[in-house]
Amino acid sequence: MPGKSPSGRALGRRDALALGGAAAAVAAIPAAHADTKLTVWTGYPEIQPVYQAVAAEYAKTHPGVTFDFFSSQLRQAEQKLTAAVPTGTGPDVYDIGTNISVNFIENGLIDPNPPEIDAYMKSGPWDKFTVDFLTVDGKTYGLPFLEGSRASLYWNKTYFKEAGIAGPPATFPELIEAAKKLVKFDSQGRMTRSGISLRLSGQGSGIGEKFRYLLAATGGSAIEQTPSGKWHNGYDNQSGRDSLAFYVDAVQTWHIDDPKVLHDADAFATGATAMLFRESWVIGEIQSKNPNLDYGVVPIPAWKAGMPRYMMLQPEGVYVSGQSSNKKVAWDFVKFLTNPQNGLRLTEVTGWLSPRTDIDWKPLLAKTPQFKTFVEPPADIQYYVEPVLPPWDEIETRMADRLTAAYVDPSLKGNPQNIAATIHSMAQQTDQILKDANLYGTA
Amino acid sequence: MRPWSQHRRLRRRLGALVIHAILMLGALFMLLPMLWMLSTSFKPPPETAVWPPHLLPRAATLDNYRGLFSAIPFPRFFGNSVFISLVSTASVVITSMIAGAVFAKYRFPGRTVLFMLVLATAIVPFEAYMIPLYIELVRMHWINTYQAIILPTLVMSFGIFLLRQHVASAIPDELLEAARVDGASEWWTFRRVLVPLSGSAMAAVGIFAFIQAWAAFIWPLLVANTDHLFNLEVGLTAFQFRFSTDYGKLMAGSTLSTLPMLIVFLLLRRRIIENMALTGLKG
Amino acid sequence: MSVSLLDRPLPRPLPQGEGRRRIARHAKLWLWCYAMLLPVMVIYAYVRIWPIIRSFVLSFYNWRLIARVRPFVGLANYEHMLGDQNFQIAIWNTTVYSLSIVLISTILALPLAVLLARRSKMSAVYQTIYFLPVITPLVPMSIAWKWIYDYNYGILNYVLSLVGIRPIAWLTDAHIALWALIIMGVWKILGYNMVIFLVGIRNIPATYLEAASLDGAGEMRKFWYVTLPLLRPILLYVLVTATINSYTVFTQVYVMTLGSQDAPGQAVRVLVYDIYQNGFEFFRMGYASAEAVTLTLIVLGFTLIQFRAFRERETT
Repeated sequence: MPGKSPSGRALGRRDALALGGAAAAVAAIPAAHADTKLTVWTGYPEIQPVYQAVAAEYAKTHPGVTFDFFSSQLRQAEQKLTAAVPTGTGPDVYDIGTNISVNFIENGLIDPNPPEIDAYMKSGPWDKFTVDFLTVDGKTYGLPFLEGSRASLYWNKTYFKEAGIAGPPATFPELIEAAKKLVKFDSQGRMTRSGISLRLSGQGSGIGEKFRYLLAATGGSAIEQTPSGKWHNGYDNQSGRDSLAFYVDAVQTWHIDDPKVLHDADAFATGATAMLFRESWVIGEIQSKNPNLDYGVVPIPAWKAGMPRYMMLQPEGVYVSGQSSNKKVAWDFVKFLTNPQNGLRLTEVTGWLSPRTDIDWKPLLAKTPQFKTFVEPPADIQYYVEPVLPPWDEIETRMADRLTAAYVDPSLKGNPQNIAATIHSMAQQTDQILKDANLYGTA
Repeated sequence: MRPWSQHRRLRRRLGALVIHAILMLGALFMLLPMLWMLSTSFKPPPETAVWPPHLLPRAATLDNYRGLFSAIPFPRFFGNSVFISLVSTASVVITSMIAGAVFAKYRFPGRTVLFMLVLATAIVPFEAYMIPLYIELVRMHWINTYQAIILPTLVMSFGIFLLRQHVASAIPDELLEAARVDGASEWWTFRRVLVPLSGSAMAAVGIFAFIQAWAAFIWPLLVANTDHLFNLEVGLTAFQFRFSTDYGKLMAGSTLSTLPMLIVFLLLRRRIIENMALTGLKG
Repeated sequence: MSVSLLDRPLPRPLPQGEGRRRIARHAKLWLWCYAMLLPVMVIYAYVRIWPIIRSFVLSFYNWRLIARVRPFVGLANYEHMLGDQNFQIAIWNTTVYSLSIVLISTILALPLAVLLARRSKMSAVYQTIYFLPVITPLVPMSIAWKWIYDYNYGILNYVLSLVGIRPIAWLTDAHIALWALIIMGVWKILGYNMVIFLVGIRNIPATYLEAASLDGAGEMRKFWYVTLPLLRPILLYVLVTATINSYTVFTQVYVMTLGSQDAPGQAVRVLVYDIYQNGFEFFRMGYASAEAVTLTLIVLGFTLIQFRAFRERETT
């Protein structure tokens, strides 16, 4: 009869105890596939779809793991992380530049890699250079996620042909000549197409970074490390002056670029400029905005014939937070995220390069040959890297503040003394920031 | 009629015409940005990047709005703005009423000191003390929570002043005494005499608080880290980053962000203008 | 039993020897006041008074948010600040911005208020229209204005081209960018000032103006010698609020300097932006606090000057 136990009486206390005991026993079995939620923050909104695709695949073989993604622009992501991580309200996994992660590492907010991750990292998928970049005091932190630079020269083949220029420039004098021929003005004298799109205004550290392309080409650097491990400015010299002079002349003397014309990847993709120094992600932009664009990519030219060509490297890591309560799963996911297949996926979808050395790029190159300079640079390229120290962002941003004004300052045009004075004053500011951070030294 | 009086009438007519022309030009200047924003929001991408620009879209489309909703969680941002603004408004009205009434009608030891404190700190702009407030929230682990966003908006010294002014001048002491004579408790007097008689001033403070809370930007920007907490202002800014040249979508977002305030304003038009003017006179 | 005035519960200096009953009544009243005020004052102290004090204290430390060491550096932050080019630019820009907005918006709002003071249907319509910008939230309108100011496709340059003026680089030209912001700022608060003046004008007793008319005064003289002096306290209020408001400008600058296209950069660096950048991009919280304290002092200074200026006039 319904509602009555087999023995014919209503469920009594003993039955309740039995049920309770059984339930407790079941609950005591550790849940084999307990639901784990990983929060992942990224400073690259365009990479979020890749994260989501990787997560979807990961979830197939790891049921019970769910993800929460959040992306914001790089500058905001850095600020949010810096606010959240120290209080334990941050994500389990995040990608961020070394200029920020070094702060976290210094303050114990990121743990050194677990031994098996450390061994994996050094076992060959990444070159020594990249591994060293994510090493602090002999311990590795995070796994290399993307190569943030290798900026090269994009050139518009159609415009070059139109102007009768045989091929891309190999030296800066050639670049200047080509730019002069490629720039276009309308009937009212407004520039409608820049010869080359330089970074003249906008977000601070971006300006500083693009200026460093020139510093490197001319043989200098933003900051230099001394043998004792201290730092000081590296551009209060001919290199710095030549670099600034290049920009000033580009805007004011040769008129190959102008702050008022459309700039950057947008400009190159829509044909508002003939040349651009940028990273590989622009390829993704071009694919989505103007797939029929006929363009090529070559390394940034040498300053003069006979000087080497330089390429900036900026490996960026993906980290597991020191306060995460799901470290094991998080590391497992991060390993999966940085494997060769997903590295290739990252580059294919967004254009950002995977720093792994064991990816077969041939299928990608067959589809988009422009990737060649990025994934297989010529052998004679000399590399330089972003310094890793806490005040780096401030140094670059402060440089940028002065540069934007200097580029359009008419008193600098054709005036080497003023240029030297500006560079000197900028360099002093850089040194001051280093002094404030107790990192300054000349020996 | 003598010729010179006719002349004067003509001059007056001309003067009136000129005045009207100036007023209309000014009105156009006031309205143009919003109208332009509205117009662009219906333009497809090729029409936005064109010279000379078209005043009205030639191929009007709803794509920008559609694209907007699929790109950002607009209803969420809107809901957050509403929630945060309502909580803030309620809190400001309540705290201002209480403090305003007590400061206005009662004398007690420390009254002057406390009121001076409120007065002195009223003039300090928020941006001048947001850093310690932020550090405090980091310490409390309240970053990226609703309470963090709402916290600084719970009180408004301006509201306290306004209500104090109103209660002091518009409610005669005799009313309070009459109530006390009848044996009423202070709390009763507060609830049944002071509050009902302050309705219009409370409304004024409420409207002011609502408008301020809706437009809050720098604080939510700092303490809201993930987009489920963003209000409309911050959400739109983050969105602007990603679509920095897609002005059709940007204008669609701006239009939708402005619309709620416009509707509220047009409904409560007279109330709002009167109350804002009130705040200026009594302050 | 008749109730004498002495039974009023409002506390007065008690003559010696009054009964304990009266003191008890006063104490009960005071307790009620404290009880009512407590929650309000606690919140106020926590979110306003305490942070203001801490801001001042913080400015004497080298405080990088997550660093473990936070040394006391005395006046070093202030010294650094005064010699810092970014700070100097910010102070200059912000002061020019603030003074311009206050002056222009006040000077334009007064005649507008006079014109619209006469009650009419058109007046109400105009009031509504002029007040609209005040209500609109800043972020969407900043984005809209950024688009209006666009060098290549902006409608402002188009309108100018119709009268033969060449396109102006509103937001990229270092000399013009600040003025572009000023124009936008005036647009935003003009209606607010106007409405306040308008109510003030309407509150002027008609008899004063009639008397002046009888004395043979024309419109201009009536305005100058009757209306304006009576508006003095309102003028003070408008000036003070406009100054404080415009000196803390941030949202427009932040929204319009985002992205790499068309960013005016240093030309529109304002004080609050500098505080924001130093505090939340470089995480130099102590230094940013020093700037914040300076902001407070400047705003206080302006307010005091304006109060002083208006106080003196009243006595003459």
